[in-house]
Amino acid sequence: MRNLIIFLRRYFNFFLFLLLEVICLVFVFRTNNFQRTVYLNSANGVSGKLYTRYNDIQYYFHLKSTNDSLVSENLALLQQLPTSFEKKDTASQVKFDTLRKFTNDTARKLLGTEVRKFLYRSAKVVNNSVNKPVNFITINRGSKDGIRPNMGVIGPNGVVGVVRTASENYAVIISLLTKSNGSTSSFSFSSRLKNSGEIGTVYWDGYDGGYVTMKDVPRSAKLHKGDTVVTSGFSAVFPENMNIGYIDTFYIGEKASTSVTIRLKLATNFYNLQYVYVIENLLRDEQERLEDSTRKMLK
Amino acid sequence: MSILLRNIIRFILLILFQVMVLDRILVHQMVNPYLYMLFVLLLPFNIPRPALQFLGLLLGLTLDMFSDSMGIHAAACVFIAYLRPFVLNILSPQGGFEGPQRTPSVTTMGISQFAIYVTVMVLLHHIAYFCLSVFSFADPLYLLTKILLSTTASLLLILIYELLFFSRK
Repeated sequence: MRNLIIFLRRYFNFFLFLLLEVICLVFVFRTNNFQRTVYLNSANGVSGKLYTRYNDIQYYFHLKSTNDSLVSENLALLQQLPTSFEKKDTASQVKFDTLRKFTNDTARKLLGTEVRKFLYRSAKVVNNSVNKPVNFITINRGSKDGIRPNMGVIGPNGVVGVVRTASENYAVIISLLTKSNGSTSSFSFSSRLKNSGEIGTVYWDGYDGGYVTMKDVPRSAKLHKGDTVVTSGFSAVFPENMNIGYIDTFYIGEKASTSVTIRLKLATNFYNLQYVYVIENLLRDEQERLEDSTRKMLK
Repeated sequence: MSILLRNIIRFILLILFQVMVLDRILVHQMVNPYLYMLFVLLLPFNIPRPALQFLGLLLGLTLDMFSDSMGIHAAACVFIAYLRPFVLNILSPQGGFEGPQRTPSVTTMGISQFAIYVTVMVLLHHIAYFCLSVFSFADPLYLLTKILLSTTASLLLILIYELLFFSRK
């Protein structure tokens, strides 16, 4: 016993070192546990406030490019307005309603159930990084505004990321710029070629903040430089046809390989991101419940 | 100015400089300079080793709070705080560096000794930090390039710091 105490005292510094390192590593590997670490990231009050102050100043230097992107987004929306199309047949107009529609007679027959699926909330970016292996974006909306983990986030031009944690007034987004190798377990997006409809997986290789990689595209796909790649809509996170990027170059990894790897120029400019939209899928719970119960039935 | 006050001010200023300036500058995808660990390097020679490690932990956690890295900076800082006495021991002449309250600097250690000390410590910090943050050895070239380029950038910053705050005392 005495020897043990002498031993411990002699190597006290080393044991202290081991203890502290273990504490740090526990922090690192507990990051999946949202509630415990939410106070140790930039969604907490102190650093959130500091970043908001900082952004108030820094924002002015980006006003011009922010305006440009908002104007082009407005333009895209105006193009879709019903009034910008000439209608030959006035009876063909379709009115959308989020309520259940019934016939007017006493039978009350159900005519249609168009319900809202995606709800958008705007948010201001208060902190953003692009040069780390895993990049995070802090926004000034939190659980008070209905932001919850795993909601999709898009910018004025295209996909941005997925909400990771939310405190009362702030939320942290994992940016699309998160280094991964494109395997199913790592951070990647299901995507689709807009013209021909082939499906692939988009991920970031960690080298350049302006480009991402799309893999597993069949060789039969007809590819042209500048073609648009959009979200597939398979996951419950993003609606379909959201821009991800544009084809820059493409190559076939091995001669016998059946798939093409494409380098995409990102639609979103992560270097001057100022406003984002958080997408809530109102039918997500229903979709996931159904999928889970189907999986259980198969077991 | 007392050593304690000087170090408290240095702690705050280095953290603010790291968060407000260095993390915002995009030199290149592969170059992420860090200056904040200079606080650990410049603590006095005679500081007790447990205190050194706890200060490293505090410094790392403070920066982790701002950069969403949750423990990675803290692990790297504790790592260099633990290894600091060994590095200093190897570099020190017979009987140690003179004076009870002296801190590592160009004047107390000599230019070449100080340069080796800073280079080794910064390299160790960057190895620990980037290994943990990339957390994959699948792409060793990526990791190695990032460590070497970032170390060079950080050393350049420390050189500028030393030129700015050089004192003959």
